Amino acid sequence: MANITTKKPQLPKSVLDMKFMKKTKERIERELENTHDHGNLYSNIITNEMRSASGNYISESSFLYCEDLIEGRLSFKGMNPDIEKLMVLETQAEQPNSEMQKDVSDEILAKKFKAFNKRKRPMETPSKYSFIKKRK
Amino acid sequence: MNVAIDDVVLPGDHCEEIATAGEKSKVILGPGLRKEIDGVFITKAGVLRKRAPNTFWVDSYQKRYVPARGENVIGIVTQKAGDIFRVEVGGSCSASLSYLSFEGATKKNRPSVKIGDVIYAKMLNASKDMEPELVCVDSHGKKGRLGVLEDGFVFKCSLNLIRKILNPNCPLLGSLKNEWPFELAAGMNGRIWIKAKTMRETVAVGNAILGSEYLSNEEIKSMCTNIASILAGHIS
Repeated sequence: MANITTKKPQLPKSVLDMKFMKKTKERIERELENTHDHGNLYSNIITNEMRSASGNYISESSFLYCEDLIEGRLSFKGMNPDIEKLMVLETQAEQPNSEMQKDVSDEILAKKFKAFNKRKRPMETPSKYSFIKKRK
Repeated sequence: MNVAIDDVVLPGDHCEEIATAGEKSKVILGPGLRKEIDGVFITKAGVLRKRAPNTFWVDSYQKRYVPARGENVIGIVTQKAGDIFRVEVGGSCSASLSYLSFEGATKKNRPSVKIGDVIYAKMLNASKDMEPELVCVDSHGKKGRLGVLEDGFVFKCSLNLIRKILNPNCPLLGSLKNEWPFELAAGMNGRIWIKAKTMRETVAVGNAILGSEYLSNEEIKSMCTNIASILAGHIS
């Protein structure tokens, strides 16, 4: 128990002695008093394992997440169209950036958009006047 | 004894490598590994495996299924008990499957599941102290690949074989899929359900799966072409 309280970040004594920290000081003292006997009180419940446990270990009882296994329900050559539809959807989802069908190529789109922007906003940068207008 | 990755390990061995990895970053301990106060210990006999970045497990030979959350299994309905079906999955006790955990099922509209039906279901809950719970829907309420498996043929095999054929690097399904139409459901509990158009084809799929347990990738490929040519009638 003692080593846990020392691990907690604590305010230095000089700060706690300041006038405006009176309430905080009282609170900390109360907390200490409350947790003082916890070590003895729960000693039969709290095991050594709990004290030294670190959150870095995740137990996993299934092989599913260790080995990278595929789904176990499969159908081939049209035996079960429903399952095959799901299999196709899954393979598509695995490669999302594999060439999406494009109606308009990137170059044409860039050219068109440039022209479109020109038509809408004749000036590249806002003029002084428009800026002032906005402010008003 | 201290062991390293890809060693043959025995229960009671410990691995320094995992412990040092665990000091710095998160580590996933798969089946066969256990964290104790003073290190990580092996609890199964097998080969210690690692997958990047920090996943460790023991690859062991096993036939007894221990239910684990999230796994898809093949079970047989043994009993209807009020709101639930009892399903035998090969674990230490039978699993329960609520009649509401089917797609489109309501209190009035019960799914048509009979005793003796073979179902493909997902483990929703599996702990040491409670009976496992199965569902036949995903989180969106869709049945997806789960549900009652009709017709077909079920056989048992070791848990390793299931993992072997479902491994993306295994050529078995890749070399069979263009030969003849068939359907397959592999449960992580060591049961495989297969269905094909004729009995000859079903037997061929079953033999190909069971035969591949102790074969290398190359041998599996040649076995599959062999079976396919026998089935096509080129060799009698």
